[in-house]
Amino acid sequence: MSDLFVALTPPNLLACFIGTVLGTIVGVLPGLGPAGAMALVLPLTIKLGPTAGLIMLAGIYYGAMYGGSTTSILVNVPGEAASVVTTIDGYRLARKGRAGAALAVAAIASFVAGTFSVVALQVAAPLVARAALAFGPAEYFAFALLGVVLLANLTGGSRVKSLGMVVVGIMLATVGMDPLGGSVRFTFDLGGAQAGFSFIAVTAGLFGVAEVLTSMAAPASVMPAARVKFRELYPSREELRRSVPPMLRGTVLGFLVGLIPGPAATIASFVSYGVEKKVSKYRHELGTGAIEGVAGPEAANNAAAGGGMIPLLSLGLPFTPSTAVLLSGMLLMSVTPGPFLLRDHPQVFWGVIGSFYVGNVMLLLLNLPLVGIFARVATIPSRYLMPGVLVLCAVAAYSDNNNVFDVWVLVVAGIVGWAMRALDYNPAPLVLGLVLGPLLERSLLQALTIARGDVRGLWSSGPSAVMLIAAGLLFVAPLVSGLRRRARA
Amino acid sequence: MPRDRLSAIGLAIFAVAYLLGDRRYPLDTLATPGPGLFPLVAGLALLALAVWQFTVARPGREREPTRVAGAPGSIGSPLVMAGVLVVYAALFPAIGFFVTSLALVFVSSRLMGLAGWWRPAALALGVTFVSHVIFVTWLGVPLP
Repeated sequence: MSDLFVALTPPNLLACFIGTVLGTIVGVLPGLGPAGAMALVLPLTIKLGPTAGLIMLAGIYYGAMYGGSTTSILVNVPGEAASVVTTIDGYRLARKGRAGAALAVAAIASFVAGTFSVVALQVAAPLVARAALAFGPAEYFAFALLGVVLLANLTGGSRVKSLGMVVVGIMLATVGMDPLGGSVRFTFDLGGAQAGFSFIAVTAGLFGVAEVLTSMAAPASVMPAARVKFRELYPSREELRRSVPPMLRGTVLGFLVGLIPGPAATIASFVSYGVEKKVSKYRHELGTGAIEGVAGPEAANNAAAGGGMIPLLSLGLPFTPSTAVLLSGMLLMSVTPGPFLLRDHPQVFWGVIGSFYVGNVMLLLLNLPLVGIFARVATIPSRYLMPGVLVLCAVAAYSDNNNVFDVWVLVVAGIVGWAMRALDYNPAPLVLGLVLGPLLERSLLQALTIARGDVRGLWSSGPSAVMLIAAGLLFVAPLVSGLRRRARA
Repeated sequence: MPRDRLSAIGLAIFAVAYLLGDRRYPLDTLATPGPGLFPLVAGLALLALAVWQFTVARPGREREPTRVAGAPGSIGSPLVMAGVLVVYAALFPAIGFFVTSLALVFVSSRLMGLAGWWRPAALALGVTFVSHVIFVTWLGVPLP
């Protein structure tokens, strides 16, 4: 346990600081994402040695969760997938002149959730990791399906449109290499398509480029250039009071979701938003610029990022692109994560966990004072800001695979995203479908193979049966209530 | 015809095209599923959802989009911008990031209403230079 203080040595503190600053910048910039940035600095971190190197990589990972909310709130462009849901209320708050308050609440929620998840990681890691290990393909499939149905229910607007967009996202995820057999599908002999559609290119197109095109179609409705006064940069007492319950709910929920394999931070933020829509005292305001819509999801995605470290550190299993890069870094530094990590490399294990504490404090100190600088971005007229967004999106799309095909994907996704907005389709479910697609396919096919083709194998275990029943009820309940309403009318 | 019905038809066409494309991949059996099985399930699901949406869509039941892009006279600029982006993607590998991005920022800022010549030029130079420093010099992205 004394190895926890390894994080406080000057080189490790510096590595943590650089990592968190880089992570915040990466989270603020749309598209690049923590996994891409971590991969880019991987050669540098190897030179720092295992402890400092991994501390820097981990700093980028959770720093991006902090920074990801900034562009969601200010320009309606999520820095990464976990911040997609923050755009719903965060951007509306910004347009009401409460950008600073939303950014500050996002930073505080991230700090509270990050600190909680580190404590929980330290105390309960072995126990919870064992529980997460009990998940088989059928449970993964049931969980992902539950996430999809939940998403359709909570996105707002038409459920059938949301479900349709999720399925379109899942279909786009089938382009490229088949996750089990390795067959190449739907590439039409385009070399760049073999790796599949870049998540970054699609997301940057649907949110970034589409936002630019929409702002050109209706310039008066986008980003009013009202000046934000300094005292408005911090939340009011009322906003802070209203933020506490969703922050706490999001923290616990996010951590629990983070334990389960998959794009947990993204799912956690959506589930948290759904929970707020059901239980919040101010649920009727959600979707119109409610602070609960920022506090809950931001706490949830940060707590999930902490929870997601458990399977990596204690089992050696990465379940997100970012933790996969961390695993690559560990292996390159001759550190094998898993049950023997604590025995063989206690300084690395406790040093990384200790850096989470230090990093969370650094991020809070970094983000709160800089909230004013970020909030000023919202006052810049779109004709100055949007051309820059286009260039950032193009660079982010290209840098994912260093491939021009992804720039084409970005452009097409942007035009499609613009049309989707005009037709009242929400792009967020499509993005989630794209992330969940490979997990759904892999888990469904593996579960069927294990059950020797018997579909009952999908609900043969308790957890998978419960999750599938919950998904079924969530799917059917709105239909039944709709039929009842129609019968009454 | 309601807008939602038109988009439902579009989704159905996409689903059918996808299912036709999926015929090239074997389904095999449920015990040893082939690469065509999951796309078949996804394509059928989208087709079913498109039919559902077509059925429930009625005139007068559609919500107005949050931000309408189809207001008279407002569609021209985004279409021109979309064309500019297509040209950008085509020229990006041939003449490189710096020149294409410089031109993109200049043209897009003019299209967005930035008056004069020196302001769009200064913006283009500033954005492209800063992007180059961050991504190429700092993060080491090998841009063309």
